Amino acid sequence: MNFEATPAPIPQEGSSPSPYSGSSPSPYLTTSIDAVINWGRSNSLWPFPFGTACCAIEFMSLMSARYDFARFGTEFMRFTPRQSDLLLIMGTVTYKQAPILRRIYEQMAAPRWVISAGACASSGGFYDAYCTVPGIDHIIPVDVYIAGCPPRPEAYIDAARILQEKIKDEGFMRDRIQKLRDRGEDLNA
Amino acid sequence: MSQYAKQLTPASAADFAAASRNTFEHLCAIVPATRDGQETIATAAIVAASDLRKAVLFLRDTPEFAYDMLIDIVGIDYLHYEGHKGSRFAVVYLFKSIAFAAHRFQLKVLVDEEHLNVPTIADLYQIANWQEREVYDQFGIHFEGHPNQKRLLNHFEFVGHPLRKDYPAQKRQWLSTNDPMIDQLELRLKENGIDVLDPMPLNTPAVEDLIKGDRL
Repeated sequence: MNFEATPAPIPQEGSSPSPYSGSSPSPYLTTSIDAVINWGRSNSLWPFPFGTACCAIEFMSLMSARYDFARFGTEFMRFTPRQSDLLLIMGTVTYKQAPILRRIYEQMAAPRWVISAGACASSGGFYDAYCTVPGIDHIIPVDVYIAGCPPRPEAYIDAARILQEKIKDEGFMRDRIQKLRDRGEDLNA
Repeated sequence: MSQYAKQLTPASAADFAAASRNTFEHLCAIVPATRDGQETIATAAIVAASDLRKAVLFLRDTPEFAYDMLIDIVGIDYLHYEGHKGSRFAVVYLFKSIAFAAHRFQLKVLVDEEHLNVPTIADLYQIANWQEREVYDQFGIHFEGHPNQKRLLNHFEFVGHPLRKDYPAQKRQWLSTNDPMIDQLELRLKENGIDVLDPMPLNTPAVEDLIKGDRL
């Protein structure tokens, strides 16, 4: 992300002196909206933990003092999908649970991201049975997969870093401009 | 519990056979509990479905045995089972005696595929309510007189009985809704003496909206 410092405006003769004039640094920055939005989003993820099995136990140690997931901006566990933007699925998801997971995902407001933690959530794991969904990507889109059975806390941190990189690469304004441009082409056509 | 322990000696398989000669033997065929027949503590018997309740009452209420704890009810599908002839299904009841702590009793009912009915014992052992529902869910065996025979583990939209040997293991079934189980909740409230004035109909659009959060 580039923050470019703008030189302070030159005080005009006769006008009141600016509070920022003199030796204090410039209060202005120029940057793109995308960069600011992505910076804010990637460093303040509010996760919703959807823990169904032992991967969620590992997640507890991740959140507690030794690994301290909050260092990376995923500060605040939210137990309602309405207030969260990162869905963490940890553990086996059965077909009976699939509609619940789908509904929780739909209740989250955009922008939203999904991390699938562990073998079961990512692929069904060793459950090759009538009752287990073979990977939650059959139900909802997934941004980052974590391998492991269960994954170590370091793997969660790695996934969070990968997700942050991914978010920083998104273009909120870029997408909007593209959308407007497409609409304009439709109108012209 | 302890009053039994004072008066009685624990019944072994041989004692059991001797003691039950009059009352029980005409109901059941006593069989070895294990394949090698060396088991001395657990006893097994095969009983006809029509005599099941009599046999269970005998086991529960005879003070010499006092099998007052039902550990489990298990279904068996003998399809493709090597060397098996006769009925396809079986339901096994596992009893334990609290007074004679080591003692177990297995009661087996053979169930034909054409006549998938077994009398319920949910009124004799409370735990049998859910266990019979589980066997019904996984094997499709009906328990006559069961107060609430619904699926226990699988979703109510699930079709088929997955622990049957002819159920394709790779088959996946997509389910469209989550089960609010409001009917079960209301049943429990009624059992606890709370009146449900306006029972909520299950799986109507209104309930769906309520769960989705579209309607407040």
